[in-house]
Amino acid sequence: MTTVLAGLSVGAVYALVTLGYNIVYIGSGALNFAHSNLMTLGIFLAYWGLVQLGWPIAAVIVIAALVVALAAVAQERIAIRPLRHIQGQLVTMVGTATLITGIIEIIWGQQALTVPSFFDDAPAHLLGGAVLPDDLVIIGLAVALTAVLALASRFSLTGLAALAVSEDREAAQLRGINVRRVQFGVFALAGAIAGVLGPFLGPLTFASYTLPAALALIGFVALAIGGYGSFVASAAAAFAIGLVQTYTSRYLGANYQNLVIFAILIVVLLALPNGLAGARRERVV
Amino acid sequence: MSLPAEPLLEASGVSCGYGDIQVLRDVRVRVWPGRLTALLGSNGAGKTTTLRALSGLNQVTAGSVRLLGQDVTRLPPSDRARLGLGYVMEGKRLFHRRTVEENLLLGGYVMGRGGDGWGGLGRRRALRQRAETMYERFTVLGERRRSRAGELSGGQQQMLALAQALMAQPRVLLLDEPSGGLAPIIVAQVLEIVAELTADGLGVLLVEQAAESAIRIADHVTVLDVGHVVIDKPASAIADVSELQHAYLGGLRKRPPAPAS
Amino acid sequence: MPARIGRVPGPVVPVALAAVLAVLPWLGLDVYWNQEIVLTIALALLASGLNLSLGYAGELALGQVAIYAAGAYVSGYVALTYTADLFVSLLAAIAVALALGLLTGYPGLRLGGWALAMTSFFLVLLVPDLVNILQRWTNGTIGLVGLPALTLFGQPLDANQYYLVAVVIGALWFAVFRNLVTSRHGKALLVLRRSPVLASSLGIGVRPLKLTAYALGAVPCGIAGVLFANLDHFVSPADPGPFTITTAIAVLAASVLGGSTSVYGALAGAAIIQLGPLRLSSFNQYTDAVDGAALIVFGLLLSDGLSGIAARLTARVTRRAGRGDERDSAAGGVLRRREHLSATLSGVPLEVTAVAKRFGGNAALSGVSLSARPGAVTAIIGPNGSGKTTLLNVICGFYRPDAGTITLGGTAIGGRPPHKVAAAGVARTFQTPFIPSGLTVAEAVATGRYATAYTGMLASVLRLPAHWRSQRADREAARQALAVTGIANLASEDAASQPLGIRRLIEVARLVAASPAVVLFDEIASGLDDDEVADLAQLTRELAAAGGTVILVEHNFGLVLDVADDIYVLANGEVVACGPPREIRSHPTVLREYLGVAPTESTERGQ
Repeated sequence: MTTVLAGLSVGAVYALVTLGYNIVYIGSGALNFAHSNLMTLGIFLAYWGLVQLGWPIAAVIVIAALVVALAAVAQERIAIRPLRHIQGQLVTMVGTATLITGIIEIIWGQQALTVPSFFDDAPAHLLGGAVLPDDLVIIGLAVALTAVLALASRFSLTGLAALAVSEDREAAQLRGINVRRVQFGVFALAGAIAGVLGPFLGPLTFASYTLPAALALIGFVALAIGGYGSFVASAAAAFAIGLVQTYTSRYLGANYQNLVIFAILIVVLLALPNGLAGARRERVV
Repeated sequence: MSLPAEPLLEASGVSCGYGDIQVLRDVRVRVWPGRLTALLGSNGAGKTTTLRALSGLNQVTAGSVRLLGQDVTRLPPSDRARLGLGYVMEGKRLFHRRTVEENLLLGGYVMGRGGDGWGGLGRRRALRQRAETMYERFTVLGERRRSRAGELSGGQQQMLALAQALMAQPRVLLLDEPSGGLAPIIVAQVLEIVAELTADGLGVLLVEQAAESAIRIADHVTVLDVGHVVIDKPASAIADVSELQHAYLGGLRKRPPAPAS
Repeated sequence: MPARIGRVPGPVVPVALAAVLAVLPWLGLDVYWNQEIVLTIALALLASGLNLSLGYAGELALGQVAIYAAGAYVSGYVALTYTADLFVSLLAAIAVALALGLLTGYPGLRLGGWALAMTSFFLVLLVPDLVNILQRWTNGTIGLVGLPALTLFGQPLDANQYYLVAVVIGALWFAVFRNLVTSRHGKALLVLRRSPVLASSLGIGVRPLKLTAYALGAVPCGIAGVLFANLDHFVSPADPGPFTITTAIAVLAASVLGGSTSVYGALAGAAIIQLGPLRLSSFNQYTDAVDGAALIVFGLLLSDGLSGIAARLTARVTRRAGRGDERDSAAGGVLRRREHLSATLSGVPLEVTAVAKRFGGNAALSGVSLSARPGAVTAIIGPNGSGKTTLLNVICGFYRPDAGTITLGGTAIGGRPPHKVAAAGVARTFQTPFIPSGLTVAEAVATGRYATAYTGMLASVLRLPAHWRSQRADREAARQALAVTGIANLASEDAASQPLGIRRLIEVARLVAASPAVVLFDEIASGLDDDEVADLAQLTRELAAAGGTVILVEHNFGLVLDVADDIYVLANGEVVACGPPREIRSHPTVLREYLGVAPTESTERGQ
């Protein structure tokens, strides 16, 4: 059971990555693989606020949300503008992601930093397994956010409009939806969420500049399985991947974790090109 | 029947294209309140491009577009929709993965406070009520309101596309080949509905392949040939369809036609 | 990424540069710089591998670092276990690199775009895990230490000698790379990058070419691994090591900085990334920020990199020297100066019999039959949705017919893949011209001959006589084709940036240069003005008179009535009328389809 809970905790982090991917995809048709860099930025801002400045958590959350939202919007302006060929889009996307990481390295260095938790180190006991409170919090956040976003996208007019934009941009424009504003909005939202998550992710992942790559790639596997644009399916896939990773690590060894995930990625991409529940088209950041 | 003086929608001197492909040259099209203008021409003549230019999906390289007396030439499509321009595209560009009901709600997106705000429950309720009136008018939609738009038949999709556009209570409606791909009996139904639209003062611009049927319900006829306007007059002034024949079959010729045998 | 016409500079400057580099240690170069230059060469090799796959073939294959690691470990292992001979090390690393390139390339054929990018990036993430799993060979986290110095003909190489060898190996690779991409194969890769559909239609087998690009792109990475491993005589995955995502990003940055379709740009880019000021002074902490900024700036603003800047500067200089007048001739005046087609084409009859094609529940074609004979122009017309385009694509092999047969000169071609159909002599144009970027007009025209006059890659790389022969033949065929379409004066201009009318003509010239048996024109008149259409009509008739089988899919009814010998009218996936122009012009079914006129007594009389 401990393993299960650990796996769910890992999976929750990946699920949060896929939420970021899907929010942006739904409102703009683009895939922003630099989202994990934004999440990492949020974690470092949490470190800065909580450790270096010693501010109360509420203030840190607000500041982080604003700063990361700003970074996300800036990224949208830079990486979306003139891009026609996918080769060019790759370059600017990797560029903005790397630049964000680079800024993190310059400001905070390359050592992994500890972000304090709200709870002490005592593990809780749940259903026969031991788990840190931080893990439970992150699992709860992932599930809650997935539910809220899935419902909002279907049942609010704004959510519906965003879904419309990702399905058919021109038709959405003709219905009076300002696609530019929607695109801006989803990037800002994804950034804000990434910022808010900082203080909660930090205790689990440490603040490390090497975080983004692994998160981005494994988050992509979850997205490939669940399908672009589907909050629930991608999050579920992410939890499953977390479990697979944890069990593989336990029974085969830590070296095999990523290999197994990679094998799953290849199989899924070749067998299910649109994922389980996903949309057909993919544009780019 | 004399025309009202001021057109609801007017394109003047419009040139438009894709990249460096010039499709339209110096085109004038007008739509009056309560009147149906038929926009005809053979394939490649530029009919769809004209609608796209009027709606703002394509930028014009020359000329102007006026909507309800306002110059909207530089305005993006979403703003023109908010001003009262409706457009039912060719191929019924519905949101196939959304339900009938959701498509209608999206159709009414511009209604309510400011049109682009967060909209409260009140707005959603108002839109639901308006959707109910659409179900009364298009009964087949009412029966399938929870179905995904992509699962409907061709004729049902066309009805939905029309209803979706009408949700926004447009002042001018652009229709691109509503009969496309439909069985003749459905075509007749669709065109009947189209003909009735003008009763409430709505101005309609109808692009159609089936020229004769279109002329029968039109008040005004504009014919395009390879991007130019070659005929532009009231429907009553068209003697018979053979007048269009030259426009459709003539094309641009440098050498005189072979002597008829 | 629109690459400018950077004419690849001749070998003189690079050879001189290599020579200078080679002798530096004997001129007193510090050992520290030895290392940095070898690392730069390694980075340049990696960047050139990326140039091949991303810049030339357009594939988002980013796994170079994984192959780099494989090459380094293989070299180290071989040196420790068997022999430290340089050639053996190189061969082993290249063999493994080729194998890995093919292995990772095969799934890459099915994946495209982001899926390929993420998958190949993932490989880099796997390197540390694989190193641990394969401990037996890699010695895990400790790595392979104490590697013996490489030997050349039995002699161990000291630091300076090793440096010299590294420079020579680097120079050799770039010579191979240069020879490859300046040959017709490089042009074929650019065609592939522009569109696999275009490549198929020119007879280029997309899968073999893609796999070749993957395999070739892996080779320099393996070589770079050998150079790295033997620099300090150890290979280790220590963190932050050489086999990381950071390195992969540096490779991307070096490629983009230099210009992703530039040959020597990889060297310039690598030098800046490796030797740039921030790199040296504050090792590592600024790397990512600099790489990221470089990628953004060059990705957005200077998308053809330093080589593009260099090309534009030289172009401005030569233009000032008086070559400006050619660019002023507008499309309209050009055609007046066309020559008449004097070649003969060996046309063969094309027979389509009862072909049917469905897409889901929609019958796009139902029992369509047509017959096109050599020496005649056969036109296919019909409203939107009539199936014209589907029919064209079925003939060309992009769709497989559900029923019916298609024969070319008696041989059945229905169901054959498009590149085989093209290789059998069917050439086509596209509604929107597909012109690859990075080619001159003459080069773009010559790509039509890639499959019909094939010369192997080895011959091109080694510059054997066969290469020079085919190059001469290509040039001559292109010259003639340009003369016939009247755009000979634009031969050295950038093809992709020409106006639409010229790009149409480039497509036509490309088709003419291939001396096809069957010519398929897809709405060739759309968007052109009357004069251009008239001249195109004349060329169409000349192609038929030269013996070709010409098929015209058209909207422009006037053009069709002018040039066609036989006209087939399609509607709703069926042939509703066929005959010579004078019949079709007053055919009641045609009237109905175009005008939506119900046949009345008066029109039926015409039947």
